[in-house]
Amino acid sequence: MSMKLPSEATLRRIIAFVAALGIGVATYITIADSGGGAPTCLAGGTGCETVANSSYSHIAGVNIAVFGIVGYIVLLGTAFFANDLARFGGFAVSLGGFGFSVYLTYLEIFKIEAICQWCVSSAVLMTILFLLNATRLIGYAGAPPAESRLAGKGRSVEPVVSGEG
Amino acid sequence: MSNKREREKRREEREQAEARVDTADRRTRLLQFGAGAVFLVIVVVVVLIVANSGGSSGGDAANIKEVSQVDQLFTGIPQENLVLGDPKAPVTLYEYGDPQCPICKEYSEEILPPIFENQIKNGEAKLEFRNFIIIGPQSTPAGAGALAAGEQGRGWNYLELFYRNQGKENSGYATGEFITAIAKAAGVKNMSKFNEDRKSARITNEVQETTEQAQKYGFTGTPSFAIEGPKTHGIELLGTPGSTETIEEKIEAAA
Repeated sequence: MSMKLPSEATLRRIIAFVAALGIGVATYITIADSGGGAPTCLAGGTGCETVANSSYSHIAGVNIAVFGIVGYIVLLGTAFFANDLARFGGFAVSLGGFGFSVYLTYLEIFKIEAICQWCVSSAVLMTILFLLNATRLIGYAGAPPAESRLAGKGRSVEPVVSGEG
Repeated sequence: MSNKREREKRREEREQAEARVDTADRRTRLLQFGAGAVFLVIVVVVVLIVANSGGSSGGDAANIKEVSQVDQLFTGIPQENLVLGDPKAPVTLYEYGDPQCPICKEYSEEILPPIFENQIKNGEAKLEFRNFIIIGPQSTPAGAGALAAGEQGRGWNYLELFYRNQGKENSGYATGEFITAIAKAAGVKNMSKFNEDRKSARITNEVQETTEQAQKYGFTGTPSFAIEGPKTHGIELLGTPGSTETIEEKIEAAA
């Protein structure tokens, strides 16, 4: 069974789009939490308040959503370049973000015992970004650098492997 | 002439081959780094989860927190047994709760403080805590401790401190040592009387009786509330009102 990898330009465009969504979600959580408030759960319930008010929501006084914003911005940045630094950087940051999301979801379910749908949304986005960046690294690591512009019509990059699986 | 061209051609081929080897090397290195990073992240996440899975948050008899905040919360509010507020207040609000229950803690920290501050402080209502043992076996001695502390006028400080130092439900933290530490921090003066009272059949029976009463009312979870005032027909059951505003409206309607 062989599967054709999407082109690197396509992967980069999807990564940019998902990272932009992530910036939106993390920014909303940060703004809603500032001044002692909490994000509003769209599906109702007090899960978001409980999570936002828990001792796990801040690290050294900084809302963890701020770390999320930084991570998503870096990931968005990596989508603008088609070289090995961007490929590996995107993979490493999204891997870290994914691991952190797993830990935070564990805290929500087993320690805080409440679910905040905004945090779950961010965890899902980060998981998608991790999968996209892993595909990008596996498919294109070592490929020559290409046109930097996201929507550029520059030289397309051929996958180094065509995804056996 | 042809020799020179041939040499150039061979050099070009060699360079291309080297470039291919370079690319392949770089690719292998990147993928190895990637695999290493995955391994590292798995280790870190597992360590974090294991480190957090103990009862490290709360439930620590050697480290009772928020004593002064709780003192401040109840300053200027009379309390006798587990009744908080002026005994002559026209409206009585009953809270059926379990000291081990995390939702009771949430109510105590978020929903009830405005009621303490307004309706109870100004004598409009009083709040009586009644044990409704629902979480587990350690809830009974924990609730008995509240009654024993109440006999020395420190019942609400005990309850509030218990909530603020709660460990995970039924994790075994609510030991005699923890209960004693909470009572001491709550300002219970006569500790030997406290220890004697909390273990007495009289108090244990009272815990049992209020639990049965809650079951008779049809309450299924903690905290559950009931209210009684000049405008209610006897005791009116409120269940678990979701907000401060709902409780305020009920007090208003009962007064």
